[in-house]
Amino acid sequence: MSLSPVSIPPPSAEPAPLFNERNYLVAERGWRSWLTTLDHKRIGMIYLVLTLVAFLLGGIYAMVIRVELLTPGPTIIEAVTYNKAFTLHGVIMILLFMIPAIPGIFGNFFIPLMIGARDVAFPRLNLLSVYLYLAGMLIAIFGMIHGGADTGWTFYTPYSTTTITKVWPILLGGFILGMGSIVTGLNFIVTIHTLRAPGITWMKMPLFIWSAYATSVIQVLATPVLGITLLLVAVENVFGFGVFDPARGGDPVLFQHLFWFYSHPAVYIMILPAMGVISEVIQAFSRKNVFGYRAVALSSLGIAFVGFFTWGHHLFTSGQSAVDAGVFGVLTMFVGIFTAIKVFNWTATLYRGSISFQTPFAYVVAFLFFLVFGGMTGIALATVALDVHWQDTYFVVAHFHFIMVGGTITGFLGAIHYWWPKMTGKMYSEKWGLIAATFIFLGFNFTFVPQFLLGNAGMPRRYYSYPERFWPLNVASTAGASVLALGFVIILVYLLLSLKYGKPAGPNPWGSRGYEWQTLSPPPVENFESQPTYPRPPHDYDDANPAKEFH
Amino acid sequence: MSAPEHASHKHGPGRYVAVWAALLVFTALTVGLGRIHLAGGWSIVIAMVIATVKASLVVLFFMHMKEHGGASRLVLATTLVFVALLMGLVLLDNATRFPLANPPTEATLPLMPPGPDATLPAAVPARAAH
Ligand SMILES: [Cu+2]
Repeated sequence: MSLSPVSIPPPSAEPAPLFNERNYLVAERGWRSWLTTLDHKRIGMIYLVLTLVAFLLGGIYAMVIRVELLTPGPTIIEAVTYNKAFTLHGVIMILLFMIPAIPGIFGNFFIPLMIGARDVAFPRLNLLSVYLYLAGMLIAIFGMIHGGADTGWTFYTPYSTTTITKVWPILLGGFILGMGSIVTGLNFIVTIHTLRAPGITWMKMPLFIWSAYATSVIQVLATPVLGITLLLVAVENVFGFGVFDPARGGDPVLFQHLFWFYSHPAVYIMILPAMGVISEVIQAFSRKNVFGYRAVALSSLGIAFVGFFTWGHHLFTSGQSAVDAGVFGVLTMFVGIFTAIKVFNWTATLYRGSISFQTPFAYVVAFLFFLVFGGMTGIALATVALDVHWQDTYFVVAHFHFIMVGGTITGFLGAIHYWWPKMTGKMYSEKWGLIAATFIFLGFNFTFVPQFLLGNAGMPRRYYSYPERFWPLNVASTAGASVLALGFVIILVYLLLSLKYGKPAGPNPWGSRGYEWQTLSPPPVENFESQPTYPRPPHDYDDANPAKEFH
Repeated sequence: MSAPEHASHKHGPGRYVAVWAALLVFTALTVGLGRIHLAGGWSIVIAMVIATVKASLVVLFFMHMKEHGGASRLVLATTLVFVALLMGLVLLDNATRFPLANPPTEATLPLMPPGPDATLPAAVPARAAH
């Protein structure tokens, strides 16, 4: 596990004035300067490399699962290996990729740039969060090599406290990753409160900042509960405590309460940053300031708040009381209100905008489709009587992949395509960008739409084999997953190629009026050559005068 | 979020020693309480009250919440709301559940050793199953 920034070779010396030679990437040289860096931009880049490694690993497990399910019986692996594969797929994708990716990479890189700050409030804590992430990752990978848990990423008791596979290293890894997540959230909260440049009032903050703020609040409030719960399972597994054991007065359903008290809000830790990205991109590529700034900004806090009142919808068939189930079913639907506020406002932003359908915008469109489709199936699942039919079927799998994975991945890909020119100073191939976006969109739908149908027909999740009547849809799903994987490979290839062969981007290739574009590409170590001023709100396109463009 | 000036860091160590002593007394009280068995679940109620008092002492004095105002108190209040939320809806579940779906209590499982000091060895058979 090397931390050296392999994906970021020092840019070749080009005479083009469009590329800032005095940038943060080459300000210091050598791997030691990266391992000890306090620069939020470099820390963002380290997160980029690490989370991509995690994504690759989780993606390999995903493909193993899909290939195994290509035929009804045993295909390539044994049943217990299959159980480990879906466990590790979930653990890696959720804890190592979707939760840390957008805040870790783009939050770190762009929050200070968007609020005109020199760095985050606690640069050393920021570096610590990287090492916590790395430690959690290494311990979790150690646990995967030595044994590997087969409990599913949810670690439900009593199975997780009695399984013969080794769960404690992965639980410990999750605990440490949680600490890193709390540290990042705390850092962002203090940064946003205290380091905004003069002129950036709360109601002039870029919308990405609002969603990062709401995300951070969830991270700080919810993650400790997960940490304690994982530790309780670990000690119960290793030392035989009785917290979740009914024979000693414990309650396995208590585990589910505690687990989902974190893990439902965790969905918003994943999706809120993606929503922030979408808010930025949609303004830049429709050249309109957002419709209803206040509503979009405050609905982030609304989602964060109501997101805490819904966890019991995971327990509808677990022995939870009917009263509690009804309460949670109704509370869950409130999330739909705040999400709908965002969706309607984004749509209204597009109305009569001057839309340029470039790669980042393609991901906005995909995001809206996945969010609405995934969200509506979520409302259906929150209906207790329907959930009794769908609980633990592929319908649930397809639903949460649409909302969490579809939403977060398209937000992530939108972000990387929108901000890549700022982060690296290089442009990628627009043609390949759109081709890959098409692959991602089609591949994703071909993977998960069949799973909705499978689940509705009664195929349970996490099963190693299935009856032959489910065969055709499973083949379709695996074929879709292959297209999806190909899309990711194409993206990786052209992004890496752009580092060497890409055209210099210039400070603002999109003509965006987001605050972060007011500096050179890539930015200097100090972020700005001189302190920018903020007389206008972000993404103010009302005045078409080109002199108002940055640079 | 202007950090409120807690200028009065003048009070010496005496205050902290007093709080520390109080914490020790309460700990001893909890241990003592664990040795005697009060009927009707009063042991757990009293133990929880003592724990709450101790936590409050730590928050007020060691974590300086007494001297801080504004934002810090707001943060504390927010966290308490969420703790109440977690406890409240979990307890609502247990309170409204089909009784036999609840974990055994002293009433439903008289064979279980009651009280918080039931030590592990007595309960090991449940674990020995695997
Ligand atoms: Cu949920």
